[in-house]
Amino acid sequence: MIYRRFVTAQSIIMAAGSIVFPFYLLLIKNLGESYSQFGWAYGLFTLTAALVYPFIGRVGDSIGDKKLLLIYTWSMAGLMLVIPLVTDVWQIYMVQIVMGLLGAVQKNTEKTFLARDAEKETAGRKIGSYHLKVSLWSAAGIIATGYLVDFLTIASLFYMTSILYMMASFVIWRKQGAV
Amino acid sequence: MKKRYAFVLLIYCIGFIASLWGYHQKPLIITDKGRLLPTKIKAIHAADDSADLQQWIKKVAVNHEKISIAGMQHSQGGHTLYPGGIMLDMRDYDEIIAYHPKEKMITVQSGATWADIQKEINPDGLAVRVMQSQNIFTVGGSISVNAHGRDIRYGSLMSTVKSFRLLTADGEILNVSRTENNDLFPLVLGGYGLFGIILDVTLELTDDELYQIRFKEMDYEDYPDYFRHKVKQNPKARMHIARISVAPESFLQEMYVKDYVLADNQKLRPEYSDLDREWFVAAPKFFLGLSRYSEWGKDLLWNWQKRYFQYQDDNYITRNNVMRSDSKFLEYHNPNRTETLQEYYVPVDEFVSYIDDLRDLLEEEDLNLLNITVRYVGYDEEEPVLTYTHGEDMFALVLLMNQELGNKATKQTTEVVRKMIDLTLAHGGSYYLPYYSYPSQQQFEKAYPRNDVFFKKKRRYDPHEVFMNLFYKEYGP
Repeated sequence: MIYRRFVTAQSIIMAAGSIVFPFYLLLIKNLGESYSQFGWAYGLFTLTAALVYPFIGRVGDSIGDKKLLLIYTWSMAGLMLVIPLVTDVWQIYMVQIVMGLLGAVQKNTEKTFLARDAEKETAGRKIGSYHLKVSLWSAAGIIATGYLVDFLTIASLFYMTSILYMMASFVIWRKQGAV
Repeated sequence: MKKRYAFVLLIYCIGFIASLWGYHQKPLIITDKGRLLPTKIKAIHAADDSADLQQWIKKVAVNHEKISIAGMQHSQGGHTLYPGGIMLDMRDYDEIIAYHPKEKMITVQSGATWADIQKEINPDGLAVRVMQSQNIFTVGGSISVNAHGRDIRYGSLMSTVKSFRLLTADGEILNVSRTENNDLFPLVLGGYGLFGIILDVTLELTDDELYQIRFKEMDYEDYPDYFRHKVKQNPKARMHIARISVAPESFLQEMYVKDYVLADNQKLRPEYSDLDREWFVAAPKFFLGLSRYSEWGKDLLWNWQKRYFQYQDDNYITRNNVMRSDSKFLEYHNPNRTETLQEYYVPVDEFVSYIDDLRDLLEEEDLNLLNITVRYVGYDEEEPVLTYTHGEDMFALVLLMNQELGNKATKQTTEVVRKMIDLTLAHGGSYYLPYYSYPSQQQFEKAYPRNDVFFKKKRRYDPHEVFMNLFYKEYGP
């Protein structure tokens, strides 16, 4: 996976994540009846992520960042298809656990790829410019959502995001050398 | 490699379709289009056949279940919902049973929409007499709210209904018309689904006609005279709609009207008789979106709308196409906010002073008002028990409001709405019932003085209260 393609894929992933995030939050809020349930849903997410980080790091070293990112994008694409179907709090808890796991995959792999790719001397500059690009896309996603919601149903936002994740996966998957 | 791409895509597509399918199966907290009343119901039952329905209702009554009846669910006060009840979805009960073009008569199952009817009768040069401005509603739902629209010659929908069959709470099927079981006729018309299931309906049709659009801008003070002399007294003027500005620059001052005047050369009609499709969604949706957020957006929408309609001046349009006005651009899915309607009826003579008072009131209040359309409903001797015309010719003002979801915002809107209704009642007017239960019990009783008769008869025809909804729960005894 070449660096440019990695940035493209990450940009799509970030934008997609930003688009659904507010609605995902809203879903948790609406399904839960109290703040404690909201807290649990969020806590489960963070807790799962914390527990799986060491494991993911090791997997990344052995199978490569590209494969992990592929697994991540496919799983997210699949998960976005599940979210519109959720009706109960316990289902949200399950989704949060999977999200925690996948979030950890994304965060860890993003860093390991950058670490493996960068020259020690120019790493700061390179990662800085990487974050600029990716964050801009994330911002675009967030801002667009505020308006999109007046024009699309919430379920269709999730479906749209699912398609975005699939697109990211194909960007990552295309031939030409592995990481 | 290509094979692998294809395989992954295939799996994904299957997942996608499965998800969409599952999403469409997903009940059971149901809310109507107002989204203010999410209601946990027990089940949804889809109606398909009247004999099956008859069996079903007997079973349901034995088990002491409650039924709410739903069509397109555009009512906003839970008229189609009841907690723990079974919602009877009539949308698949939509066949055209009999159609006699020569007699200008059609019999349809109540789940049929106006669009279904238009498709059937348009080729024969026939049209509906009275319906809403949009054609997305079911016939049964429209009867239950006794709808009215842009037509100015026939009165409300009631005047065009010849008869219908009603499945009552004890499983009996009654023919209801002005001569048979006539007690039920003015109860089911505007009866909000509380007397039984309307099975099939026979409607009187009229000729499809070619109209020429007449557009005119005017001050609100000139409107009643204009309407009386240039519209009502002009036998060629058949349909009419007006708008009054909610834009800050011209708030409740500027108006424009659109009259549909019989074209001189009716032979041209076939050229215009293809049923229109709604293709123009993006622009109105965009401007409406802007007007939700800002005052300048409201000015922009008003001016744009005016110019857009001005551009249609002198255009030809058939009656059928007037009666299938755009609605998609109005659909609104913001998870935190909703759009609700109010409709107020004001006697024609009171219009100017009413608007003055309404302006004074609304300038003090914080209400995100997006649109007001004005229609005319003539008084008809034959009225439903829950009538909104009160023996007078009325202008009907439909207000579209945007509010946040949740109790706090609803309470705020309630306060403003109650003030508006007090004002409407003080001018000898009334308000329409299909919307959210902002109005107080007192206001309801004042606007609908025969409500006691209505509810007494409800309990006589349905003593075990099988047909229930949130409207009855709120305002019933």
